[in-house]
This record gives sequence, structure tokens and C-alpha cells, in this order.
Amino acid sequence: MTPKPPPKNPGEPQRPQRPQRSQHENRGLRPRPTYPPDELGIGSNVVPGENFITSLDVPPKRKAPAQQASREELESQITDLESRLDQMIRASGPSILAVPPATPDTQIARAALETPLKAVLETPPFDAMHPLANNPYFEQQWGRRGLEERSEDVDDFGYDPSFERKFGKLLDFFHRRYFRVRVRGVESLPRQGRGIVVANHSGTFPFDGLVLRTAVARTQPEKRKVRWLTEDFVHYLPFAGVFFNRMGAVRACQENAERLLKQDELVAVFPEGVKGIKKLYEKRYTLERFGRGGFVRLALRTGSPLVPCAIIGAEESNPMLHRLDYLPKLFGLPYLPITATFPWLGPFGLVPAPTRWTILFGEPFNFDGYGPEAADDLVLVGRLSDRVQRSIEELIAQGLRERKSVWLG
Amino acid sequence: MTTDNNQALSTDPNGGFRSRNARRVAITGGAGFLGRNLRGVLEADPAVEAIVSLDVRKSEPVGDKTHAYNLDLTSRSAEERLVEVLMSEKVDTLVHLALLSSPSSDPTWEHELESVGTMHVVNACRRTRVRKLILKSQTFLYGAHPTNPNYLSETHGIKAPLGEAYFRDKFQSEQQILAFGPPGSARIATVLRMAPIIGPHIDDYIAHYFRRRLVPTVLGFDPLWQFVHEADAIAALALAIQRDAPGIFNISGSGVLPLSAVIKLCGRTHLPVPASVLSAMLASLWITRLSDAPPFFVDYLQYICVADGARAKDVLGYSPAFSTREALIDFASAQHLRDAKLLSETPA
Repeated sequence: MTPKPPPKNPGEPQRPQRPQRSQHENRGLRPRPTYPPDELGIGSNVVPGENFITSLDVPPKRKAPAQQASREELESQITDLESRLDQMIRASGPSILAVPPATPDTQIARAALETPLKAVLETPPFDAMHPLANNPYFEQQWGRRGLEERSEDVDDFGYDPSFERKFGKLLDFFHRRYFRVRVRGVESLPRQGRGIVVANHSGTFPFDGLVLRTAVARTQPEKRKVRWLTEDFVHYLPFAGVFFNRMGAVRACQENAERLLKQDELVAVFPEGVKGIKKLYEKRYTLERFGRGGFVRLALRTGSPLVPCAIIGAEESNPMLHRLDYLPKLFGLPYLPITATFPWLGPFGLVPAPTRWTILFGEPFNFDGYGPEAADDLVLVGRLSDRVQRSIEELIAQGLRERKSVWLG
Repeated sequence: MTTDNNQALSTDPNGGFRSRNARRVAITGGAGFLGRNLRGVLEADPAVEAIVSLDVRKSEPVGDKTHAYNLDLTSRSAEERLVEVLMSEKVDTLVHLALLSSPSSDPTWEHELESVGTMHVVNACRRTRVRKLILKSQTFLYGAHPTNPNYLSETHGIKAPLGEAYFRDKFQSEQQILAFGPPGSARIATVLRMAPIIGPHIDDYIAHYFRRRLVPTVLGFDPLWQFVHEADAIAALALAIQRDAPGIFNISGSGVLPLSAVIKLCGRTHLPVPASVLSAMLASLWITRLSDAPPFFVDYLQYICVADGARAKDVLGYSPAFSTREALIDFASAQHLRDAKLLSETPA
């Protein structure tokens, strides 16, 4: 490697340097260009770089037809190549790209670079793209899924990763400094695959889902992202509905939850619903009725484990002293809380007090033994729902026993 | 069911020679954008023997298979005229596209054309040998509502404001078409509920909305939207002609986009306005006919109305070539050309 001479005219715009080719050419391999993913175009319609073609493990074929060849010859050659390529694709199935590139044999590599590229370009584009477009790597890196990760694209449920990243620092601050969240038993969450976290709901304003999500993402080794389900009224509200939705919340209904679980997500539910967050301070850390056991039906139908969870500290962060029930219904709100700061300080009254939060996860329940048809057995669903509720009550009691101070934990 | 029918066709003494799968397709609204392009697709399809284009407008020819007839669905003799044409052309499949893609300011005429027009079509089909009816409908019929699940399946109820003539007539058309082929009968009724169609040639009220320089949106709301590309919409219609799939199907592009991202992709500026102000604004513009977006459109700017295309994929075998994002980019790129006055063609 000799150092390159400096450009003669520094004022001239410097042309992009070509990669050093000599060493690679000796071995008969072209250098593999590495494209930064951002520079590629849109979606999976992008034609991949030619280095992709090398991984089509193809024995040497005849040379590319010469320019002077007659039209008939050309056509017969093309159809021949097409049929061969077709056979190859069919024979190797979808795993065609999983085959590692051939050993650096000059002949094979050159032929693989030249002949099939031509053949690939001459077959209808869809056929050639098909194995590529279905390749998981391609999809993740360059295709639609990769694009979702990098751009302001939202996923099926409206979660926008880039939006959440914008708030990453603030969430970190709330998690580490403000609430100083302590997490116990995070290992009982499923490390992969579907799962339902069942938690108590509290805190006047529904912040607990977001704190739970942040806590799991910061403490679990897999950094799983919990999708939590929010009550309907959040989606009636301006700003709040969109904010929570882009942060990963989903409206609570059976269809949405089932779809999320089928995608093997970790879903957090608050079965108490609005009744949970609207309870007054004097009723703190008591559980309201757990709906009609919809979360148990969900677990039975999708075969997901249920992890009970207790969130301690949210009740004191926005203690509700009084509640207006009827007047706010005119504005589409389920209730209007009166706390020490809200509505007196306007939007600043929404800021919770810096209590110390503890999140405890209990032993997971596995209802697989009952089978999916048990979801229609309402008596069983009610019984299982009670069991889960009792285990959360025990977790809350344990958390409160261990807590010495509301502010310092 | 299919084979029986084909045998019946091939032994038909009056039918003469007919290849086993040859279809004779009639298209109402065959001069419109979807109708004309569907005809173009069917011209190249060897399984289709003849295409009958029925429209009150002049159907410009796209190939040899097309036979064009003049038909006004709002006239009282529409049914007789249709029976006459369908009999003489021996039509076995009818695609009903003579429905408005933008709400009209004349609800009486709209009702005559859509609801009563569909009645004429269905009755004429009952009186002739038509065995398959296909209707283009909309996912907007599900209605935008905060309690909608993120993906609405075909079994979901209709929540669109049926007080609006635009939706009521679409809904009534759907009901009449579905009654033509109840489950278990030899006749097939397919309803394709399409997500908002977008693409370089689309010129309906939704496209007009995204063409504005300043796009008004609802303050504090940013619902998810989905689109289907015009080519995918035509492909879905062609697929429904090819395959016998009775029932309702949602036709949509893959993926969703927040409305704010849609407007950004179109290169427009959005102007957040409180919901009440926007409804008043749209209502006054609508009454004075300065805008073709009706007041009910505010709901769709505020709440989610996204359909689940799983059934179309599993039963009909439809998979969109364009995602929502790609369809929109295609629309936006044509729009940029129009902005720069480099695209002179009038949109179809």
C-alpha cells in the first residue's frame, strides 16, 4: 500500500477515491462495496448491489453473448439461461441466499459475477427479486422493515421508534433520577415470544404504562419493548392519544391485543381500566374489579404466559383528593381530578411528585394446559382472573411492607 | 360450483363454441379511470373473451375485445336496456364501478345513480345469465372512530355516518349486491372495500385535499391512514374476476402512515386547526362549493379508520405491490411534476 500523492489542485473538488483494487484483483474477487444503508432508496424496490449476486452459488456458464450474435441466437441463449435460472431457484427454494459465497476461485467468482447477472436482469424483475425480497436480512437492512427502523415510519399500531428516541433522554431522567425506579423480579418476564404483563393501574393520569415500558427496556437484558394497552378515553383526547400511541401504547381491545400477541410482543394490560386511575387517594393500593377477565381470555386464546406486576409509588405521585364526575363528561373526559396541583397550575399540575417507584414482577402463570377453547368457559375465566388478582394484591402488600418511605423508598 | 357452471356454459346450445374458462365481462362505469384501465388489463387476459363497457360517457376504445354501449343508470329504462345488452352479449360477470368516488353536491342524483342504479344492475343480472357480480366499495364505510381497533376486519359493523347520502348509498349498494349471491347459491357476489385509492392519476376529493399547499388538519390529532395504489386497486378487480371469491374483502396497501407523515411526504405544510373550527370551515366551504371535501371528512382527519387486508390475502390471493408509503410517494412524485408544470396531462 503506497500512500496516495496529494491532489494536485487543492481547490478542485476531490473525486471520491476508488477502493484499492490491486490486491482483490489478484485473487479474482471484486471488492465488496459496503453501502451505508441510509443512501439507498425506498422500500424493497431498490435493486441490490451486485455483490448480492455473488452469493448465488452458480457454476460457470458460457460467456455473455457477443454483440454481433444474431437475434435468434441471442433469444435462444436468453431462454436457455432463463430456464436454468428458474430451475436453480426452484431447486434451492427460498434458502438460495443462505448459501455462503463460493471459495475464492477465480473462474467461479468471475462467472458468477458476469453471466447470472445478465440472466437475472433479463428475467422479469419480479422473479429475480423474489428470493431477495423475501430474504430476512434484506428486508431488515434495506427493505420495508429496515426503513421503518430509520425513518419516521410507524409500525402497524402507530409506534414510532424515532419519536420515542427523541424522548429517550427525558424518559431516562424520569426513570433514573426522578422516580428512581426499582425493578424486582424482571427475570420472570419471558425473554422472547409473547407474554402478558398484568399490572395495577394508578396515579390519576395514566403515566404508569410509560414508566413500566421504560423500566423494562432499561433493566431487562433483552431490552424488550412492552406495548401497553390504554383506555378508550385517551384516544378521544387531543395530543395525549397521539403521544401515547407514538410511544408504543395501543388502544385496549381484544382485536388489537390478540394481533400484538400473535406478533410475539410483550403486552402490558391494566385490567382495572379507568376505575383504577380514578380512585381517590384514600383508596390507594386497593384493586378494583378486574373487568370481565378479558386478559385471561386473551392469554388462553393465544397461549401466552401471564406475569403479575405491582407498581408501587404511582398512587402518591398525583394523589387525587377529589373527583368531578359529571361535568367533564360534556367534554369527553371520564373524570376531572382535583389534586394538590391540578387544575390549579394548569398543565404544570400534570407533573407528578418525585416519589420513589418500585415495580415488582411475580411468578408467571401459565394457562397453556387449559387449551384455547377454555376462553369461552366464563366460570373458569372468572376463577383464573381472581387468582391473578390475588397474586397482584400479594405483590402490592409485599412492596408496601418493604417500603420505608414514600420519597426515599 | 365452478366446474358445473363451466360445463353448463360449454353445452349451451345457443352459446356456440366457447373455451372452458372464457369469461364475458361487463363493466358499468367503463369509461372512468378504474373502468378504462381494468378494460386494458382484461384485453391482455386470454381468459376473457369479450368486454362490454357500459357508461353514460363515451368509452374510448383500448382494444378489440371491448364493445361499448351507452347506458344511463339514472334513467327509468336502464334495467330494460341492461337486460338487452347483457343478453345479446351473453355476459357472465359484471363489475359494477358506476359509483361516485367523491361526494356529489346533488344528493338526489347521487341516490338515483348509486342506490337505484345498483338496483337496476342487480335486477338485470337476475334476469340474465350473469353469475358473478363485483362491486367496488370503500373502507371509509367502517367509519372513523376512536374506539376502532387498529385493523378493522370485514366482520366489523358499519360506523360511517349513514345520514350522509354518500355513505348511505354505498351501503345500500353493498347490501343489494350481497343479496344477489347469498352464501350457498350458485351466484357469486364480491364486494371489494378499498382503502382510499391514491396514485399519479387519482383526482378525487382525497387527492385534492393532499394537493393543497396548506393542508388543514385537526389540532392534537394525527390518525393513522392507509392507502391502496391505483394499480393495486385495478389488480384486485382483475383478481376478483379471475377467481370466485364471494363475500366482502378489504383491499389495502401494506403498512400505515400517520396523517402528518402523509402530508410531509406530499411536500405540503399542515395547518393544525381545532376540530370545531375545522368542521365549521369545511361545512361553509362545502355549502358554497368552494371545496369538495364534505364536513364528515373531519372525522377521518381525527380518528383511525384502517382496514385489515388479511382476508383478501388468504381467500382472494391478493397481495399489494405497493405499500401505503410507496403508493403515496408515487402520487407525490406526479404531484411534484404538476407543481413544476412539467406534467400537462389532465388526470383521469
